[in-house]
Amino acid sequence: MWKSVFYKEWLKIRWFIIGYTLLGILGIGYLFLALKHSFAFTGGKNVWNTVLFQGYQFYGLFKFVPLAGGLTIAVAQYLPETINKRLKLTFHLPLAGNRALLLMQAFGAGSLLVSFLIFFGLVAGFSLIYFPIQMVTDGVITILPWLLAGFAAYFMVALVVLEPNRIFRLCYSLVGGFFLTIYFTSAGTAAYAPANSGLFILTALLSIAFVFSAYRFRKGEM
Amino acid sequence: MEKISRYIMVFIAVITLTIFLPKLYWMAFEKPVRKPFIQYSCINNEFMIQRTSEKKWEDTKGKQYSREEYEQMLPMMFFKQLLASGTMPDSIKGTALEMRAISREKSFFRLKANEIDAPKPGLYPLFESRSGRAQLELPDDFFRITWRIEFIDAATNKIQEEKSQMFSAALFHKGFSFPTKTISGLPTPRKSCDEGYLILDSKDQLFHLKMIKDKPFVKKVDVPEGLKFRQISCVDFKNKDFYAYLFSDKNEIYILTQDDYQFIKWPIDEYDMSNCDLKIFGDLFNYMVIIEAEDHIKAIALTADYQLVEAFTEYWKTKEQLTEGKIFASLFPARLSMASENSKFIRFYFTPSKGFDWVFLNILLMAFHFIWLSRRKVRLKNHLADLGIVAVCGIYGLIAIHFFKNKFFD
Amino acid sequence: MIECNNLTHHYGEKLVFENLNFQVKEGSILGLLGKNGTGKTTTFNILNGFLQPTGGQCLVFGEDTQHLSPQTKSRIGFLIEGHIQYSFMNIHQIEKFYSGFYPRWKPAAYWELISKLNVPPGQKISNMSCGQRSQVALGLILAQNSDLLILDDFSMGLDPGYRHLFIDYLREYAKAENKTIFTTSHIIQDMERLIDDVLIIDFNKVLVQSTVGEFRSNFRRFDFELENDETDLKNERFIVNIEKVKNKVELYTYSSESEVKRYLDDKHILVSNFTQVKMELEDAFIGLTGKY
Repeated sequence: MWKSVFYKEWLKIRWFIIGYTLLGILGIGYLFLALKHSFAFTGGKNVWNTVLFQGYQFYGLFKFVPLAGGLTIAVAQYLPETINKRLKLTFHLPLAGNRALLLMQAFGAGSLLVSFLIFFGLVAGFSLIYFPIQMVTDGVITILPWLLAGFAAYFMVALVVLEPNRIFRLCYSLVGGFFLTIYFTSAGTAAYAPANSGLFILTALLSIAFVFSAYRFRKGEM
Repeated sequence: MEKISRYIMVFIAVITLTIFLPKLYWMAFEKPVRKPFIQYSCINNEFMIQRTSEKKWEDTKGKQYSREEYEQMLPMMFFKQLLASGTMPDSIKGTALEMRAISREKSFFRLKANEIDAPKPGLYPLFESRSGRAQLELPDDFFRITWRIEFIDAATNKIQEEKSQMFSAALFHKGFSFPTKTISGLPTPRKSCDEGYLILDSKDQLFHLKMIKDKPFVKKVDVPEGLKFRQISCVDFKNKDFYAYLFSDKNEIYILTQDDYQFIKWPIDEYDMSNCDLKIFGDLFNYMVIIEAEDHIKAIALTADYQLVEAFTEYWKTKEQLTEGKIFASLFPARLSMASENSKFIRFYFTPSKGFDWVFLNILLMAFHFIWLSRRKVRLKNHLADLGIVAVCGIYGLIAIHFFKNKFFD
Repeated sequence: MIECNNLTHHYGEKLVFENLNFQVKEGSILGLLGKNGTGKTTTFNILNGFLQPTGGQCLVFGEDTQHLSPQTKSRIGFLIEGHIQYSFMNIHQIEKFYSGFYPRWKPAAYWELISKLNVPPGQKISNMSCGQRSQVALGLILAQNSDLLILDDFSMGLDPGYRHLFIDYLREYAKAENKTIFTTSHIIQDMERLIDDVLIIDFNKVLVQSTVGEFRSNFRRFDFELENDETDLKNERFIVNIEKVKNKVELYTYSSESEVKRYLDDKHILVSNFTQVKMELEDAFIGLTGKY
């Protein structure tokens, strides 16, 4: 049965996730072309110098890409469920309790994870060509909150979209919007190292947030 | 699961509010602190205080000066101005004033608390110390120290095996115990000359590493028994008296003299490096150490050979101690912030409010919520947790539990 | 199969119905009739588990509708008002989707209905006409092969051809496989062709709960003309409803012709042209609940 749930979710998001991933890959390709160009024209030692001592992040443009992905996939997945209250159909399915919802969420988050892993793999892989492991690790520490923000955005948008009451949707959006800024506090490379594990836990907690508004949707809270 | 989901969102909302409500509050009500600029006058042996925003120049006894009088008291600092206006004295304290000496002895050093608690790059350029060139050039490789020292060519990202082995052997033979605790130096070509790096190994032994004519120069520096350094800041001063300022884990300040590697402890005990900013002005006659804390500025004057002359402290009320701060402490139980002034790391910085005035508001809010609940004829048993949240989290809790309504059907 | 006890619901302060009691027996086809606003959709929402009634309880297969187990849900086919479906799918995708949930899925039942549509295989349901979409929704319900069908307004948006088609299918299917159906529709002639039993609700109460046959035979309409226009018959107990235009009267009652005539004689009310009018279900419904 989970296969069918995944099938429906795939039908909703497939073009979005494929398009987003392709765009992301192209974007990363561009970043590395630019990096290669820098290496050729300014010289490796100068690039390293700016990265190590002047806070240059060649992947900086990537900052809001995971966030955009999370927002897009959440809207693509959950907005169609709210039209004509179609989510009711899912609640009729012979699945225990919130299982259907959690499967939907798992698929969306899983798709995002695949995209992010592809991005991450490409960035880390290419970086290792040009930089030693310490610098790549620092870059990973820096990128990690942005990736987590992508998931957090996905979870929170699901929460907002499913909420039946307009005023509460606004409240949730406010909380969500301000909360997401925590992932983007202006900081230097690798500065997020101590906070990443806490952020990871918070993001993981958010994954079941939407069960609350789905429940309100189901109980006719209008 | 719905209830857990709701409590998670309440928790997230509380965290968000704990960050942003105080932020908004201080954005509205915080007043800037006008810190005075303090220097020691070698003319009248007084601390001269400049209050820029009030356009006041005075000394610690309250005597007021005009701007010109003030500058005359600090000839080392304003020698260009005094030369231009023709009021530069020929000698001070029997010492004839010679421009080159003044310029050579002038130094400025600054260390902020957030530079100490900050991510470290891990890779550094080791310059050729005796290149024979007027300008230093960035080397082609950078080094890191793990279980050995490795030089990696930046253009190819490959380890220079021969060089790495040569330098590793040199360190090893001097008793270096890998890996390293800190690597300190000036990793920029914009300095007058290169003095390499001061490196603490895993056993807190101090080594001086340089590259001279492509060969390793390693000197093990004898550190006095029991002295552990937390921060080493290398300097590039014209007088070349010392390599670096070193700060021990007991907040002591040392210098390491050039060439003979002697540690000289400065007579300063009031420096808390985790929470204060440090500025050290050096000139022909004195060293001026300025320690800026949250609620005071301490100025300590030393002679040119590091003896204590005098100290002066000025206190002010922090924002927490002013009326706005007291109101804050009665409204908000605590504050959460991702960034800190004293660190470059991002953490969940949690600061409880001083005192317990906020407890009154919490109880009031709890009562208010209780009345609100009884009007709605709900079963109180289901709302005990909410009341608890308001009791502990105060206004943050009250807002959070209303944003995420406690309405369940069983 | 379905049992609702003392069902009460309010929307805020407003009462929808109170102490509603009814049952749907296995193998029967029960139609729910009522004017707009009497709580038909509310009842369906409660049966779906989408609304928590302010009082009382509904049981389906012995389980509280607010907490149906997955096994029970697989035995119930729901049609949501408006034939709502995941219309971003096409006819193949949607069949593939639902078939994964129901072990007793009968694709033939779906495709038989769908083959009557002339749509290209890749066409999204959202791009179909209202009637075509309804056919898809109904085909899915039939393919699910559930024991109980709960259909909220199955005829909404359908034109007569589709409606007749569907009713025929449904009734044949239900009787052949001993399915139970609980349904409602605005088009009472459709209901008449489909249902065995009827449940008529009005604001706050159940008016009729019996077989269609019984209701039609017990509930009668008598037309006559009054000699005296001024005669007021409204408050008589045996009169369920009365429509009076000048001296022409339509009288709706459960009483027999003789009982009515005896009453009129007793009250010395002179009438002429007294006839019993045969009613279809729709007429009976309007007679029972009144024109607006």
